[in-house]
Amino acid sequence: MSNSYYEFFCPVKVIAGKAALEHIPYELSGLAAKRPMIVTDKGVRAAGLLDPVIAACEESGLEIISIYDDVPPDSSTTVVRDIAAIYRKEKCDSIIAIGGGSAIDTGKAVNILVSEGGDDVAKYTGAGVIKRPLKPFLVVPTTAGTGSEVTSIAVITDEKKGVKLPFTSSYLLPNAAVIDPRMTLTLPPHITAATAMDAMTHAVESFTCMAKNPLSDAYAAAAIKKVSHSLLQVMDNPKDSDGRLELAQASTMAGIAFSNSMVGLVHSLGHATGALCHLPHGLCMSLYLPYVLEYNLETIRGPLGELLLHLEGPEIYAATPASRRAEASISALRKLRDALYKRCQLPRTLKETGKVTEEQLDQIAEMALDDGSIMFNPKEVTLKDARAVLQRAWA
Amino acid sequence: MLAKRIQPMASQAKRLYVELMFQVMGRALQAVSEVDGEVQKEAQALPKGFLFEMMVMPEGAKLIVEHIGGGRFHYHGDSAPRAVDVSIQFKHLTHAFLVLSFQEKTSIAFAHDRMLVDGDVSYAVRMTRVLNRLESFILPKIIAKRAVKEYPENLHLPEKLISAAQIYLKVATHFIQTARA
Ligand SMILES: [Fe+2]
Repeated sequence: MSNSYYEFFCPVKVIAGKAALEHIPYELSGLAAKRPMIVTDKGVRAAGLLDPVIAACEESGLEIISIYDDVPPDSSTTVVRDIAAIYRKEKCDSIIAIGGGSAIDTGKAVNILVSEGGDDVAKYTGAGVIKRPLKPFLVVPTTAGTGSEVTSIAVITDEKKGVKLPFTSSYLLPNAAVIDPRMTLTLPPHITAATAMDAMTHAVESFTCMAKNPLSDAYAAAAIKKVSHSLLQVMDNPKDSDGRLELAQASTMAGIAFSNSMVGLVHSLGHATGALCHLPHGLCMSLYLPYVLEYNLETIRGPLGELLLHLEGPEIYAATPASRRAEASISALRKLRDALYKRCQLPRTLKETGKVTEEQLDQIAEMALDDGSIMFNPKEVTLKDARAVLQRAWA
Repeated sequence: MLAKRIQPMASQAKRLYVELMFQVMGRALQAVSEVDGEVQKEAQALPKGFLFEMMVMPEGAKLIVEHIGGGRFHYHGDSAPRAVDVSIQFKHLTHAFLVLSFQEKTSIAFAHDRMLVDGDVSYAVRMTRVLNRLESFILPKIIAKRAVKEYPENLHLPEKLISAAQIYLKVATHFIQTARA
């Protein structure tokens, strides 16, 4: 008897494509929400990305009651408390989070407070603490990478204790994710590249790690195909709105995949490096991906070989002998990284980042071993193993 | 209740087995932490007084150990002196049985959503490594390979644990046979 078992869950309505933003008023009215609050950051506002959202709502007679545009890159419990206070004072009844991972996580955490009550969101940290639906909540991602619009987790820093608090509950998922190509059209090249490689990593790890399952595999494979096909096109022609939409959809699909199958060692190393050396998450993903795949190679030869079809297309897949496909998949990813390096100097090694010293590798390895994602890496990782992967990624 | 009447023996056997294995593991955790440098190294990163629990939902068997400092664990049986810091919770008796009878690896059980972690995940990851190490200690290689992702290379069994392992093995195989039948 096979011991295989899996769970798959994604109740988020995806609203994607041209003029998707214009669906927001209808979606909110369907949720009986009339007084939305926007939660976003200064960068989004400065890029003019709020204008089309506000216009879309006003044209339908829906007034945005309040806009909080000061979410920091690393959101805190204090910020969450302040936003919840404004929400209550203005008698809002719903939240629209617009931005990248931090704005979306903040929106989720604010939703906990305004729905469950109180001023201290730390009280709700952990798994399964929230047991009932929260206020109507929409998410409009402005980076194509994190997939936070379809994950049931939020991470908020507790400034007093200096720790990161995780919140997990399926009730954190938004009612809808609105994916409009206008929102990612102005992303600068290095952010486009790094966030797309985050999505790529979500999909590749989802497809090769321990909790992979037939449904997450379908989403992951399709996401890999979209990123492989569109990323360089968008890098060469940033105003290509079809390509932008492809990347945004790939990010959401990869998010659905990994939130149901988890990620592995690339993320363990990436989280540690991000925390210790303050490098952007997507950059770390792109950097570690091939080295970790090489480390896992013999455990994941089958699925990694299958990915060649989505990375390189049917001709190259068919022309590569089955026994060489896994290696060819790694080469394809390396080729993509080289192309990105040429276009926007996205670092391929730790040395190329200029922000990591060789002395820090021990510390990164130790911290990576404490990261939750390491549990789902297909191959066991000891401190020595992690250190060896880091050495290979050094230069 | 109906299921209870149909399969009283199988379910009862599983329950007893899981309770017994929790006791075996609790004692073994304490014993191994007194002799094994690897386990001590892992445990030292835990705060002193850190309480770890493994339990079966909703109100089933429990295993509680405390890190009493210096990488040593103390086994508290099934009652905690205060609120626990990290709890690994099996969703059902059957899932606990699968893992504790070494039919499903701990890491696979996590991947299969058989259990939940409540508390700091980094400590849970550490405790999983300790449990892997423990499983490879108290079980003969052939069964331990089934229980952990990779069998450690640097495992030198202390004499007293080898003899203990054999007793546990007898208990374990006996239960697998009867419970499967
Ligand atoms: Fe990521």
